[in-house]
Amino acid sequence: MTTAAWICLLSPLAGAVAITLLGTRIPRREAGYLATLSVAVSAVAAAVAFFAALGRGGEEREAETTAWTWLTAGELDFGLTLLVDPLSILMMLIVAGVGSLIVGYSIGYMDGDDEERRFFVYMALFVFSMLLLVLAGNFLILLAGWGLVGLCSYLLIGFHHERPSAIAAAKKAFVMNAVGDAAMALALFLLIYESGTLDYLRSFERVGELGSTTATLVALGLLGGAVAKSAQIPLHTWLPDAMEGPTPVSALIHAATMVTAGVYLIVRTHPIFEASVGIQELAAGLGAITLLVAGLIALVQTDIKRVIAYSTMSQIGYMFLGAGIGAYANGMFHLMTHAFFKALLFLGAGIVIHALVGEQDIRKMGGLRGLMPKTFVAMLIGAGALAALPPLSGFFSKDSILASALAREDGFGYVLYAVGLAGALLTAMYTFRMIFVVFLGEPSAFVREHHHAHQGKEGPFSMTAPVAVLAVLAVIGGWIQIAGTGWHPLADFLDPVVAVEREHLALVEPTVTQDYVTAALSVALSLAGIALAWLIYGARRREAPRQPFLQRVLERKFYCDEAYDFAFYRPAAATARGWTRWIEGPLIGGSIAGLAGGTRELGRGLSEAQTGFLRTYALAIASGLAVLALVFVSVRL
Amino acid sequence: MTTALIVLPLAGALLVWLLPWSRFWAGSVALLVALVEVGLWINTLVGFDFDAEGLQHAQRVTWLADLDVSYHVGLFGFSLWLAGLTVVVMAAAIAYAFWAGRDRPRSYFGLMLFLTGAIVGVFSAQDLLLFYAFFEAMLIPLYVLVGVWGGPGRIGATLKFVIYTMAGSLLMLAAIVVYGLSEGTFDLVKAGTSGSTWLFLGFVAAFAVKAPLFPLHGWLPDAYRESPSEVSAVLSGVVSKAAVYGLLRIAIAKFPEPAQELRVPILLLAASGLVYGSLLAFRATDFRGVVAYSSLAQMGLITMGLFALNDPGFDGAILQSVAHGLISATLFLLAGSIERRAATGELPRLGGLAKGRPALATLLMTTGVIALAVPGSASFAGEFLILVGVFERGWGWAVVGVVAIVLAAMYMLRLISAVLHERRGRAVTEDALDLRPAELAIVIPLVACLLVLSAWPAGITERSFAGGPDDPRAAVAGRDDGWTGYAPLEEDEP
Repeated sequence: MTTAAWICLLSPLAGAVAITLLGTRIPRREAGYLATLSVAVSAVAAAVAFFAALGRGGEEREAETTAWTWLTAGELDFGLTLLVDPLSILMMLIVAGVGSLIVGYSIGYMDGDDEERRFFVYMALFVFSMLLLVLAGNFLILLAGWGLVGLCSYLLIGFHHERPSAIAAAKKAFVMNAVGDAAMALALFLLIYESGTLDYLRSFERVGELGSTTATLVALGLLGGAVAKSAQIPLHTWLPDAMEGPTPVSALIHAATMVTAGVYLIVRTHPIFEASVGIQELAAGLGAITLLVAGLIALVQTDIKRVIAYSTMSQIGYMFLGAGIGAYANGMFHLMTHAFFKALLFLGAGIVIHALVGEQDIRKMGGLRGLMPKTFVAMLIGAGALAALPPLSGFFSKDSILASALAREDGFGYVLYAVGLAGALLTAMYTFRMIFVVFLGEPSAFVREHHHAHQGKEGPFSMTAPVAVLAVLAVIGGWIQIAGTGWHPLADFLDPVVAVEREHLALVEPTVTQDYVTAALSVALSLAGIALAWLIYGARRREAPRQPFLQRVLERKFYCDEAYDFAFYRPAAATARGWTRWIEGPLIGGSIAGLAGGTRELGRGLSEAQTGFLRTYALAIASGLAVLALVFVSVRL
Repeated sequence: MTTALIVLPLAGALLVWLLPWSRFWAGSVALLVALVEVGLWINTLVGFDFDAEGLQHAQRVTWLADLDVSYHVGLFGFSLWLAGLTVVVMAAAIAYAFWAGRDRPRSYFGLMLFLTGAIVGVFSAQDLLLFYAFFEAMLIPLYVLVGVWGGPGRIGATLKFVIYTMAGSLLMLAAIVVYGLSEGTFDLVKAGTSGSTWLFLGFVAAFAVKAPLFPLHGWLPDAYRESPSEVSAVLSGVVSKAAVYGLLRIAIAKFPEPAQELRVPILLLAASGLVYGSLLAFRATDFRGVVAYSSLAQMGLITMGLFALNDPGFDGAILQSVAHGLISATLFLLAGSIERRAATGELPRLGGLAKGRPALATLLMTTGVIALAVPGSASFAGEFLILVGVFERGWGWAVVGVVAIVLAAMYMLRLISAVLHERRGRAVTEDALDLRPAELAIVIPLVACLLVLSAWPAGITERSFAGGPDDPRAAVAGRDDGWTGYAPLEEDEP
């Protein structure tokens, strides 16, 4: 099991290194094959680890393995440690599985780009970093993976580096994540200070000794990292801009894997969150706010990728909500199904964008159903799963989170429940708005002019095959766990890791009635959302009723970018400018100039003593001797 | 062995300088000597016993018996790493100068080799007067290298550099004389600890200028901008580390009480330098300016690690010294290469260099992201330990530290994209070449060192301090703040 984990981790790294070292000696297309192969090897290794774990009893499914000691300081040491347990195995399967599909898809999507090799190096490096993140056995290695996925995200968002907007988006993503990393680092300093270790297993054992203040602060720092990485409010503004990256990047990093790392982090470190006071509820609350706000903004977006990006934020909001109320298995369940259907939506959108020579504005699209029927079906499946329609995967996972909120049976739970249901309505609305506008109606002028088929097909095999596989997964992925029927193998698999140990926090299982009520309500709301979208955008494609103020607020994304610019960037830049002008120049630079000037003046003054007259020198020597004599005499006495 | 490490480059310097070599042969001989020096260091490394307490490869010859002054050299774990940084960066710098074809090659290479010997001497001297001699000997070649081979503003830059350094050094000389006479010996191993705040400050002044520590960095921007790029690489990569060594080996190890008492003011200065340097790096308008101010910030961070006065701080400071040395040397060499192509380092006139120049883009990007301490890199490991160290002294220090890390991300990414990305700058011609094989052969080994260090930072942190009475950690072992170490781990661990 551990060997498989190491192979899974290192194979993409080996792929990335090989392509880098081979340079131009490897043809572009072969570089893509090599990258895909290296990630596929990871997927196979993950499957091997999975079956090896299944073959063992529940307690033995956890294995730690240390390659070498990564860092030491006095009595502290931090190993390059992997922890293989059901949670990391599930993440390995998702990351390597979906990853290999998307890297394969990129072969077709990036075909003909200038720098394909660089792209595949970054993609393989990303998969390695993400696997490092999910396999890490201590917080320091987790943070390493955490930072490296951020780095790859930066590199891939800014892949088309001659575009200033892409570079700006990349920098923004990196810096916002650096803020999250900083919060996490502070949490780790505190954890080291209090417990002397960063190993998951050791530090979780000692959570009880930490005291609730410490646990709360540590959890708060971790939550800061999670919020930044998962683009939750208030550190969410980088994700929509990140759509500047090529579409496979959006699918892999900004939908299926990296952005869900925050959820993984909460689930992984749940003992700390449970020991904290109110931080877990804060996570759930932030998730609820995000899912609502992102859903609202998604309604007015006109860029097909941004619509999907906001829906990602919104869906991760559901996962935060689930993890925040202690429904870890349900949160992970939604993480998994979301990886399938969101990757499907992005890759489908990628086929559309590819066929329309790079156009992403949905206002220019329309009537694509007739031209791209298979893509339409795939997108419809993805949209249905996103809108949580039965029997597609999203239905099972989203409803299980909502039912868990209802099962809390307290005020907070009801609020979360209501928000979640409202989100379901919004989700269906914006999703099907996109579907209706892009695919239904008559082909628009732009489409008629620019649409081109790929050799008579909708896309090359390397693009259509991953979409087909993901479509199947998006349909059946949710059947692994069906609420209200007692069929929950996924929860059983994860149970050893996520079991809530503290009695008073134990998650109340939703009753069968609650499950059914939730399912009925959410399906009804989703259908209502679709109907609304149909009325507004589908049937007659008429203009939406304009709400100037509301619309403007939504289109400017609640003015978050402007607020941050005003609150943080400008003061920092102004301080830097002020210091450069008022301190560095006159004080630091000026002091030496003053010193030099003073020295010169002093020298000039002293040089006047050099008169050239013997009598002056004789006087000077005599008086000097006299002074010295006085000094010596006085010292002796 | 230690003596060989010092004498070889000095002898090489004489050889290159005195014999009538042609340009090619002067450079070749100097490079050969520098590479043999690297080999000699590796040989020392292999034979080094990192578990043994105290000095290794020590050699002591009495010089002035009355004052107990001696030629006493030897290496600790941490001095070995700093010496290693020196020989590697110096070899790269000499190779770069050779490739760049500096004028008057015999004097140039002679001075570079002389500088190598002097710096290695600083890192191994165990006698205060000897230390002072080496410390000042560093200044002579630097003075000439900046003043003769520098850019248009070289005279002003040299003057500032020399005045600042001399002022600090004279205070140190006074402190050395008083301390040595009162201890009855100038031998660092024999001399006991002292409680004198004034002597402590005398030493700190010299090192604070050399590092430099805010606000004594007035010489830094000009010196780093006007020097030949490989000299800037040496100045910020290696010479600044003489201050780290001095603070650790003398100021902290020999004056533990003043170090404790003045910890907070020094931490304050270091933290101010960290934030100040980071913000100025964000506003700097040229490549070297960004690297120069980031060096100021990094030296502030390393000083914070030292004056955390605990294990993570010391280990982190040594690791970060080596990492930063390699990073800033690489960045200055790359800056030099870019200036050769664009005839300017002004950021507004650069840009778009990544297109069609994969080697330059890859190397600058790799070094840049390590410089901004992306988690998982060697500099991240160093900064992490330093901040773990200062966190014990108060969480506020660590907060300042992580804010500076966010700022580092901002200025480094700004530098990277201003040079590599977006539209082609006016100073960049279409046919500006990618890095040539010779440049690659110089820069890639430095980056490779960084990558190895990123994979295994414990290679240094496990092997810097072996304990024993001469270990700086011993001097600060008795904690005065009631802190009793990390909570012990359970006994039943495997």
